[in-house]
Amino acid sequence: MIAAIEFRNFKALRSAAVKLEPFNLLVGPSGSGKTSLIQALLRLRALAGLPAEHVVGLPAAEAGAAQITFHFQPPYQELHVVLHCAADEIVCNRLAVEHPPGLEGERLWAELRARLLGIRAFLFDHYAMGVPPREAEDKELNSNAGNLAAVLAAWRTSAPAAYAHLEGDFRRIMPEFAGLDFRALAGDHVELVVRPADGSMPLSADVLSQGTLHLLAILALAHAPQPPTIVCLEEADRGTHPRMLREVRDALYRLSHPAASGEKRAPVQVIATTHSPYLLDLYKDHPEEVVLAHRRGRQAGFTRLAELPDVRELLKEAHLGDLWYSGLLGGVPEEPGEEPNIE
Amino acid sequence: MAWPFVASHPSRMKLAILSESPADEAALRVLVEFVLARPFETLPLSLRARGWPSVEQVLPPIVRHLHFQTDADGLVVVVDSDDSVVHTPAHEAPGYHHPFCRICRLRHAFRRTVRNLPPRRPPAAGAPPAGPGDARVLRAIGLAVPAIEAWYLCGRDTAITEAAWLEGQASGRPPYTRRELKWRVYGTDRPTLPFEVKRAVQEVSRHRGDVRRLEHDFPAGFGALARDLRAWEVG
Repeated sequence: MIAAIEFRNFKALRSAAVKLEPFNLLVGPSGSGKTSLIQALLRLRALAGLPAEHVVGLPAAEAGAAQITFHFQPPYQELHVVLHCAADEIVCNRLAVEHPPGLEGERLWAELRARLLGIRAFLFDHYAMGVPPREAEDKELNSNAGNLAAVLAAWRTSAPAAYAHLEGDFRRIMPEFAGLDFRALAGDHVELVVRPADGSMPLSADVLSQGTLHLLAILALAHAPQPPTIVCLEEADRGTHPRMLREVRDALYRLSHPAASGEKRAPVQVIATTHSPYLLDLYKDHPEEVVLAHRRGRQAGFTRLAELPDVRELLKEAHLGDLWYSGLLGGVPEEPGEEPNIE
Repeated sequence: MAWPFVASHPSRMKLAILSESPADEAALRVLVEFVLARPFETLPLSLRARGWPSVEQVLPPIVRHLHFQTDADGLVVVVDSDDSVVHTPAHEAPGYHHPFCRICRLRHAFRRTVRNLPPRRPPAAGAPPAGPGDARVLRAIGLAVPAIEAWYLCGRDTAITEAAWLEGQASGRPPYTRRELKWRVYGTDRPTLPFEVKRAVQEVSRHRGDVRRLEHDFPAGFGALARDLRAWEVG
């Protein structure tokens, strides 16, 4: 849905741009702008719910003030949305929209705006997932998946087909388990329990491994009956064994390329971050889906892996993850004593 | 006894398969049984490599592990050629080793590893007769040109052969890409793992035990694997 984003003076992204694909894997060191990109999207969602300034011609940025410009894929390619603020403001709290004139332009903006409200960001927290939540009312996963038990319990009744697919995938990937169950607790709380395949005592969420809970949360995203329009997932590899990362990739592709999984719903744009060279390895056939985030001194920026001129040649000799780690591709931390190259 | 414990059927060969994915492994189990024309057992040891060049790096420790810690008769290894040099009959000349051919490199790594290994322990009294791999682990190495999906399409698409790929390499115009092969096999280049496994087994099972077409269309990569396997004389 979002085709590209341009950043001016937004945190370390002083002058940066990134083109986005249906699926995007961001790799790079701390402070290189990965989370800032996600924060910009969340800010866009927040401001899209408020009245916008309708402008003809995009506003010029005040000197030193932050400005983030969003460009969109068809049918919204004629619309441009700008988050901006005055030089003395810390947070971008103004949203300007340029759209084609007339009713058709307004209709497109209304449609796009509804889609922007569907942006969600996640950073799963297995401790939060281990605490029994209150029964869900909105049936949508929280940003830390702390309401996982409530959401799954609700889907079991309200979306049995999606729930069955999720549970089937869980059993296939973790054959030591026979399925999921839920216990009603006092105060309208619900506890997730997992039934071991050997018939032993069910395990409650608070004793499940981090990896098991993360897998369940990722499957919940992948099989959501009404998924977000854009999913941002931080640390997509968290708690996952390198051999199981293929399942993480498949689950995220289920969102971004539903037809490849035999699904007929609209694609969800995915922006995932990772520090795992093993997860990165899985994208060697799709360099266009990898974004290298880099930082030099106080400036951060982005480069698409596919834009590196010799990437295909380099991949003949080494794994993508190893190439990244080596520093040949960029997107690695600055070494102590390295001269910052600020342009 | 060392872990993993290997419970074996005395009359069946015990093999380890080193592959890049569960889908490749599923297909190789079928193909190896077709070539051997008899059932075999696989070790309860899940070997996986991250593709080239990891296979070459992990092969020596795997061979040593199989030699010392298991009663494996043989190790099956198959890698994709990608854009590398394809193995040819010229590479089979005694003492020849092409530095950019993946079969030559894997054979070299295997040979170098087993050369100095001591003999395995003699079988205990009352144990069944010695099997083919009792002295050392046997090897069967194959090369999928340019990717294993080409093997899956064998017999379906006559344009997909090693000869076509070699001609494309020589002319600088590859007849197909890895991505195109994936599309033809899976209908997408982003298949889910279960679908990939399903399609892999479906396609190789089409050969119904007769691998002559695969050997004809892929004489260097699949042919090398088949020749290695047939060279294993069962005791």
